[in-house]
Amino acid sequence: MVQDSYPESEDVVRVGLFVTCLVDAMRPAIGFAAITLLEAARSRVEVPLQQTCCGQPALNSGDLAGTRQLAQRTIALLEPFQYVVVPSGSCAATIRIHYPDLFQDDPPWRARAQALAARTYELLSFLVDIRAWSPKQVALRACATYHDSCSGLRELGIEAQPRKLLASVEGLSLRPLAGNTSCCGFGGTFCVKYAAISNAIVEEKARSIEATGAELLLGGDLGCLMNMAGKLHRRGSSIRAFHAAEILAGMGGGPAIGEAM
Amino acid sequence: MSAVGERLTFKARVRVALADPVLKVAIDRTTGNARTKRAAAIAAWPGFSAARDLGRDIKDHVIAHLDHYLIQFERNAKASGAKIHWACTGPEACDIVVGICRKAGARTVTRSKSMLGEEIGLPHALQEAGIERIETDLAEHIIQLAGDPPSHIVWPALHKTREQVAALFRDHHHNPGTLATIEAMVASARRELRGRFLTADVGISGANFLIADTGAVCTVTNEGNAELTTTPPRVHIVTAGIEKLVPSTAHAMVMLRLLVRSATGAELTQYTTFHCGPKRPGDLDGPAEFHIVLVDGGRTRMLAEGLAEMLRCIRCGACLNHCVVYRQIGGHAYGSTYPGPMGSVLTPMLEGLPRSKDLPHACTLNGQCQEVCPVAIPLPTLLRGWRDRLWRLGLESVSVRQGFALWRFLALRPALYRQASGLAVRMMSWFARDGWIARMPLASGWTRYRDLPRPPGRTFIAQYRRRMRRP
Amino acid sequence: MSDARSTILTAIRAALERRRGGPPMADETTIAAEAERLRARVDATRPDRLGGGPVNAFLKRLVSPAVAATAERVATLGDFPDTVRRYLTAHGLAGSVTLQPHPDLLALDWSEIETHGQPSLDEPVTVGLALGAIAETGTLVFHSGATSPTLFAFLPVHHIVAVEAGRIWSWLEDYADAFAGCAQPRNVNLITGPSGTTDIEGTLVRGAHGPGHLHVVLIGGAVPNSDVAGAPDYATLSERPMGADPPNNSSR
Repeated sequence: MVQDSYPESEDVVRVGLFVTCLVDAMRPAIGFAAITLLEAARSRVEVPLQQTCCGQPALNSGDLAGTRQLAQRTIALLEPFQYVVVPSGSCAATIRIHYPDLFQDDPPWRARAQALAARTYELLSFLVDIRAWSPKQVALRACATYHDSCSGLRELGIEAQPRKLLASVEGLSLRPLAGNTSCCGFGGTFCVKYAAISNAIVEEKARSIEATGAELLLGGDLGCLMNMAGKLHRRGSSIRAFHAAEILAGMGGGPAIGEAM
Repeated sequence: MSAVGERLTFKARVRVALADPVLKVAIDRTTGNARTKRAAAIAAWPGFSAARDLGRDIKDHVIAHLDHYLIQFERNAKASGAKIHWACTGPEACDIVVGICRKAGARTVTRSKSMLGEEIGLPHALQEAGIERIETDLAEHIIQLAGDPPSHIVWPALHKTREQVAALFRDHHHNPGTLATIEAMVASARRELRGRFLTADVGISGANFLIADTGAVCTVTNEGNAELTTTPPRVHIVTAGIEKLVPSTAHAMVMLRLLVRSATGAELTQYTTFHCGPKRPGDLDGPAEFHIVLVDGGRTRMLAEGLAEMLRCIRCGACLNHCVVYRQIGGHAYGSTYPGPMGSVLTPMLEGLPRSKDLPHACTLNGQCQEVCPVAIPLPTLLRGWRDRLWRLGLESVSVRQGFALWRFLALRPALYRQASGLAVRMMSWFARDGWIARMPLASGWTRYRDLPRPPGRTFIAQYRRRMRRP
Repeated sequence: MSDARSTILTAIRAALERRRGGPPMADETTIAAEAERLRARVDATRPDRLGGGPVNAFLKRLVSPAVAATAERVATLGDFPDTVRRYLTAHGLAGSVTLQPHPDLLALDWSEIETHGQPSLDEPVTVGLALGAIAETGTLVFHSGATSPTLFAFLPVHHIVAVEAGRIWSWLEDYADAFAGCAQPRNVNLITGPSGTTDIEGTLVRGAHGPGHLHVVLIGGAVPNSDVAGAPDYATLSERPMGADPPNNSSR
């Protein structure tokens, strides 16, 4: 799917797409949506096929030595690219914020981690902040609400960018979600380690989502979306969930999270 | 009946809390109010961000020169006629307090609210010494009657309904009256405690701030009980953590602006009082003796072991009010003096990691606590530090370690990873009905409460490879 | 106890030295200079609120719902007893009031009101004279001393307090600066409204242990309705407590 004819332009950038282990396994459509969007935003996209996991689960569990191993591998894999784009706030934050911290006592690796961090972006913020891009001629007549995933929001400052992008989707109206900056209770392994607490949190979140009256739930992180969508479905809600990238790439007419192909 | 049992595990306490709808109503009301009021106060203060940076820098400055400021405080407090005592541990501090009380021949002590007092176990120590303890802060009075530990650092009795309070007052107050309204209950407590203020032998308070250049102790309250506790008795004892220092009264004002808004949304509490030394010649009231017990209780270890930022904490409670976990489980589930995010950072230091190993993990690392902290404590980073230490100490369960080892093994070997993940997503499809998995082996942690969206059966990398091969 | 003292200080020094990575501690002068630099930053961080001058700002804050005191203005301290009389009548309070033993108060004409010198446990009313006030927060300032016992502000149900308009500090730090380097009284009470609690179901109830009503009588100052922004409000003072400079009302 490599676009083979770009006008000779310095403005075309070379992007390595890091899809994340969760997207890879659970919802590849997000990865393809990312490619579509990045190419539309004048990027030559490559997908390093050796990618696996950034190490966030190990990081959050306190296994720093193990995380370093994964980080070193990931850094070596991604550093050849001009930019690295990740369709997930938490994984992008792992590379951008936490990788350099992992190598406090290792100056050469710290330098490599910092260099990579400076070029790594979450997808939606990359499209707006770096490529100044907005979708053209994408339409979806629907009423949606948006949940701001915590890592993207607080570690990377992603809040305005998704809304700016979604505002360009013809026919799409966005309803505010009460407590949109309040955690959904996913938290990675937290949601299974402390499942009862996670459930209590996501129950409250599901009630807020249902109270908006929106048909669609959108967000920028698949883990959070799966958590909320899974709860909504268990509650018998008809609300459908997509990653914002899928809507922006014109895939809003396809199956939502959890819907059969 | 207390929901906190020493022998209960964290998860058991959580179960109790989650099963209590009355508790949830109380938590929502208290923390919801606090969040709304704080947000309004901050919105009305364009200088908040700069003030927060300044508050953080003042605290960091004090921490960086903690010995200097402790010595300066001690010198000035002594010059004002106060007696200074130092305690390395909580039990030592209790011994000192009990010793002062015994020397004063005290039979009754009144107490205004002090979380440090809870932390060091002072109520228990006084009881063991046969000294009657009268809590004068309304919430502390309520939980004293109920035999409960505090469930919030600003509203210790938030878990009590008005009916429960009325019942307690009916049983314990000498002249309860009707107790038909909350006003009537407060009036009953006022009547009950009034006489005790003036007849107590010793008054014990905490300290919100220790002012280094005057040797004064600052208390921040709203009921008037702190002054009624500390002025009438012959002896006033202050229990304070060594991190409570600020350089001067002016610096304390900066912290006060941050503290009160972050805690309750007000600008100042009704009573901000600076206590400096005992009664002077010419004074018409005041204690003859003024003692300050400076307590380490693990704070020097925090300084030495990477938790220095936690010493900035001014005990506002904002992190509790905004924590999605606290808001579901309340304070008792944490099983220690301090709940919420600040409690999850402090408790492993104060009570040891093995006993509190759930606390750093029972957190989504969402970061709202740090965002609302008026002194910008990097709470998620400090919690990660505990997780790191737990891992290195091998306190994680074997199955978790093995699981991560397997994950890492695969993630370092892309070919194997592809095979394993390909297999896994195909197998998951077996459990799906339509697009959802309601039950699956190894996934009960998830599927107990939510459905799992079914993976499409081929991973992204597999599909991408296939598309790349097409002409 | 000196053992604990030296243990703690030694531990602190060791931890700080390790954090610093070795270099020596700053000396007292350097530390004080740093503290002063921090103090100087506060000007840029204050809430913006003193439009209309400190007197108007003080009154506005005082009667706001967050503070919930009541207030009135009179021209001179000589008018104060009348305000007390009217307050007692308006609240249906008969009987004696406790008068704070301040010479300026004792010198006033209290005929038609019974006064006594010691508040009881269930004292209905005390009448007082504050040292000053802070406009930013609507706060009264009391320093304990021979003319101002602490408990007078905490025992009664109603606390009626006179404060002179010329003694209103604009900001919290202005009050702190006025007494920096002076001997401190035993108790400084910064009182902001009547006592209250929200400990039972979050419901606000006034008059927990302290007074349920705080009535402030502002003495003198600019004519009401004259909103001269930032105009200094100096009044001649008959007596200054030890150590107090004239309130600094100029906006910083």
